Amino acid sequence: MQAGLSTKNAPSAAVVLPHFAFGAVAFLAASVILFFVAPDLVGHYLSPHLLSLTHLLVLGWISMVIFGSLYQLIPVVMEVKLYSEKLAIATFILFGSGLVILSVSFWSFNFGHNMGIDIGGTLVLLAVILFAWNAIKSAAKTERKTIENTFIITAVIWLVITVILAIVIVLNFSMHFISTSHLQLLKTHAHMGLAGWFLLLVIGVASKLMPMFLIVHKLPKRLLTYAYYLINGGLVLLSVAYTFYPQTWFLTFSGLLIVSGIVLFLRFNQLAFGKRLRKKLDVGMKMSAMGFILLALTLLLGLTSLLKPEFFQAVQLRIDMLYGVLIIFGFLSSLVLGQTYKTLPFIIWLKKYHSKVGKQKVPLPQELYSDKVANRHFYTYLAGIIFLVAGMLMASVLVIRIAAALIFVTGLLYNYNVFKILFHKEKVQ
Amino acid sequence: MNIHNLTPEEQKIFELLKNVMDPEVAVNIVDLGLIYEVHLNEEEKLIHVVMTLSTRGCPLGDTILQNVEVVIQGSYPDYIVKVELVWEPEWTPDLITEAGREAIG
Repeated sequence: MQAGLSTKNAPSAAVVLPHFAFGAVAFLAASVILFFVAPDLVGHYLSPHLLSLTHLLVLGWISMVIFGSLYQLIPVVMEVKLYSEKLAIATFILFGSGLVILSVSFWSFNFGHNMGIDIGGTLVLLAVILFAWNAIKSAAKTERKTIENTFIITAVIWLVITVILAIVIVLNFSMHFISTSHLQLLKTHAHMGLAGWFLLLVIGVASKLMPMFLIVHKLPKRLLTYAYYLINGGLVLLSVAYTFYPQTWFLTFSGLLIVSGIVLFLRFNQLAFGKRLRKKLDVGMKMSAMGFILLALTLLLGLTSLLKPEFFQAVQLRIDMLYGVLIIFGFLSSLVLGQTYKTLPFIIWLKKYHSKVGKQKVPLPQELYSDKVANRHFYTYLAGIIFLVAGMLMASVLVIRIAAALIFVTGLLYNYNVFKILFHKEKVQ
Repeated sequence: MNIHNLTPEEQKIFELLKNVMDPEVAVNIVDLGLIYEVHLNEEEKLIHVVMTLSTRGCPLGDTILQNVEVVIQGSYPDYIVKVELVWEPEWTPDLITEAGREAIG
């Protein structure tokens, strides 16, 4: 095999594809739940229903698709074969069953002992450890020591720490062995998951894929190196601050480090989009661009959560909640929706047509889904997010339910395309 | 790079490679500037193509290389086709032809 190629390193499609199917259905289910939990979204964020919805989204939708994509992307970014496909399948089963049990159990959680949460949480922890083992063992084989690889592996380590802390918090509800308030511990858990796992992973993957998709070269990678140290340093300090010393100045300082890192990453993306040769954005890149714009908006909300300006005090709780909702439903979901179209069709296309290319006329990967349907759900999703933000700011259950309906339509259209790609029948002439 | 000193037969092979598309950008690999050298050795019955890809680890790389081989072999069945992938000199967008730029949009 010639060096620098990844096709022969790619895992079998059976390892990757179930993650996309599961993720798409979880996203649709989450939009239905959003409709019913709308009243909770105008209250406090520490509600059992919201914990249920959040975990379905972050584990069942976003992390599930990321797991599947990473099995495909590790060979691209690291130029190695995945360490173990069997481990990946075991991870999928443990993770899928664990997260469903966990989300269902959170629905009726009374912040005491709950057997369902113990079982679901343990399964998720096992899955995450197996996933980390697979990713780290794969990375150990690579000869390419790049900043992208460092981001991905650090993100995986943060994921394990996030889930371990979650188990500690759950145990602490019934055993009370840590005196720190649960709210502070939950904030640490949430930020580890959002900034440590998701954000670092997105930066690692995007810094490889964005230049590839947009056709742009020689981007200043030093921005990413600075971002790496700022985000990780800030996150360690923020975790210490929330858990042991929740003073405003300390929290603000730590938060600002993370924000500075994100600003550098956004600058990297701005340069990539600005210098791109491929001016016309396809639907996948449009949704990804929307994700980055939503990340920038989220930063502003995060800053107000940290600085707590007096004129915002009356609506501070709503702003805090909106901050979390915009990261998960906005930035991350938008990116996953968009990047599905940049990965899934290619996986199926390679599986079906790799041996036929050049010998017969084969369709392009972009022809495996309906571009029209994808463009429609770009707009229903954008409208859904606008209604969601408006509904939460106005504390209007009705407006949030309109948002849920729009996101449900998005989910239906997205599922149509995902399953159209998954069940694509070969077309050769 | 040798791409400007082609014999008429090598030029034919070069033109033939315009049938090979990069499936991601839907532009042919000649206009993307991925072909560095084309050599045809009549005595040894050997065709040697030196090419690159726009990015290391490209998931579609193998497919593109295979496509190059198949397309040439189809027109030159009596020849041995050797496709060599190189990363030096590194590909840059400056290598894209005017037609390629228009096709990328």
